[in-house]
Amino acid sequence: MTPASRAAVRPLWLILLCGLLLQAPHSWAGSRLLGTGGVTQIEGASGGGLSPWGVLTGTASEGEWAITATRSAARLEDYRLDVAGVAANWNDRLELSFARQRLGLDTLGGKLAQDIHGLKVRLFGDVLYHPWGIWSLGLQHKRLDDGNLARAVGARANRGNDIYLAGSKLFFDAAAGRNLLANLTLRSTKANQGGLLGFGGDRQASRSLVAEGSLGLFLTPNWVVGMEYRQKPDNLGFAREDGWQAAYSAFFFNKHVSLTGAWLDLGSIAGLDDQRGGYLSLQVAF
Amino acid sequence: MPSLRPLLITLLVSILLAGCAQQRQGSLYQQLGGDAGISAIVEDFTLRLADDPEIVGFFANTNIDLFVASLEQQLCETSDGPCRYDGPPMDRAHQHMGLTDAHFNAVVGHMQQALIDQGIPPGPRNQLLGRLARLHGDIMRRQ
Repeated sequence: MTPASRAAVRPLWLILLCGLLLQAPHSWAGSRLLGTGGVTQIEGASGGGLSPWGVLTGTASEGEWAITATRSAARLEDYRLDVAGVAANWNDRLELSFARQRLGLDTLGGKLAQDIHGLKVRLFGDVLYHPWGIWSLGLQHKRLDDGNLARAVGARANRGNDIYLAGSKLFFDAAAGRNLLANLTLRSTKANQGGLLGFGGDRQASRSLVAEGSLGLFLTPNWVVGMEYRQKPDNLGFAREDGWQAAYSAFFFNKHVSLTGAWLDLGSIAGLDDQRGGYLSLQVAF
Repeated sequence: MPSLRPLLITLLVSILLAGCAQQRQGSLYQQLGGDAGISAIVEDFTLRLADDPEIVGFFANTNIDLFVASLEQQLCETSDGPCRYDGPPMDRAHQHMGLTDAHFNAVVGHMQQALIDQGIPPGPRNQLLGRLARLHGDIMRRQ
C-alpha cells in the first residue's frame, strides 16, 4: 500500500468499529453514567479537548476497567494537528495513556511529531457524588521525535514532564434545569506550545505554573456544550505564545462512542498570529 | 476567520438567560407529579432493579412492598412533599451489604432512566438526582 492509501485506510477501521459499537450491548461498558469520563484531550488524557480533567477515561468504576481509543484532528490557519491516542482505566483509580501528535507546518513547511506517555491517579472523590467533586494528580512525559527545530528557535530540551492537579464537579440542575460540569487544572510545565516547540527557552528556562479551566452544560444526558481555556508559558524569545481557548460540543451516542467538535482559538503560534480553526475528535470505549 | 470571543460570550449569556427564564411552578414534589407521579417513578425504578442481574441479588431477603412504600415516602420527603420518611437512616439501611461504587452507579443509572421514561422534565429530574446523589456518603459509609 502507498503511504496515502494507508493513511486513508487507518481511520476506516475506526469508523467500522464505531458502527459495531453503536449496537453494542450495554453490559460491555462500565457502570459510571454516560459522559462522566469526559472525552480525550489532545495529550491523550481524559478531559475536554485542550485540558485534562479530574475524571478518568471511560465509564469504569470500582472493580471494573475500561479502554478507550481516540483520533483527533485540528485544522488551523497555518497548521494541522493530528492525534492518535489510547488510554486505560483500572478501577476508576489509575489511568494510563499514550498519544502520538503530528503537527504539519503548512505555511512554514515541515512536520513535527511528539509522543506523550500519561499517568493519572484519582486522589479522592467522585464527579457526581462527592461535595468537592473528583480530584486527580497526573503526569505527562513528552518526547519530541526531532528536537532540531525546537532548539533552533531557542528551546532548551526536546523532552519534558508536565505535572498537573485536576478537579471536576458536576452541579445538578445548575442552569435551565441542566447539569453543569466544571473543571479546574493546575499544571507545572516547561513545554512550549504543548511541547511541540520543545521545553524551556531562552526567555525562561524554568517551570511555569499555569491554570486551565472549562465549563460544560449537559443539554441532554448525551450532549454537552461548553468552553475551555488553557493558560500557557511564554518561554521563547523568537515568538509570543498565547493561551488556548475553545468552544466545544461533545455527543455521546452511547457508552462506547463519542464525537466532539470544537471551535479553536490558539492565538499566536511560532510567529503566525490568529491561529483559529476547527477540531474533531472521535472516541471509542470498551 | 472570526474570533472565538463573541461566540463564547453568546454562549455564556444564553446559559444565564435560560437560567433566569426558567420559572418553575410549585415544589419539586409537584413537578414530579405528586403521589401518583412518585408512585409511577418508584414502580418503574423497582422493575429496573429487578431486571438487573448485578443488583437484584441485594433484594433476596427484602419485603418488596415495604421497600416500595418506604422509597415512595423518602422521595416524597426529599422533594419537599407532605410526608415524613420514618424508615431507617441510609447508612444503617445499607450496612454490610458489600456495595461498591459500581453498584451505586448502576442504581443511579436506573433512577435516571426511570425519571426519563416517566416523562419528568430535565429540571426536576436533575434536581432530584442531585438531592439523591448526596446520599452516596451515607450509603457507602458502612460497606
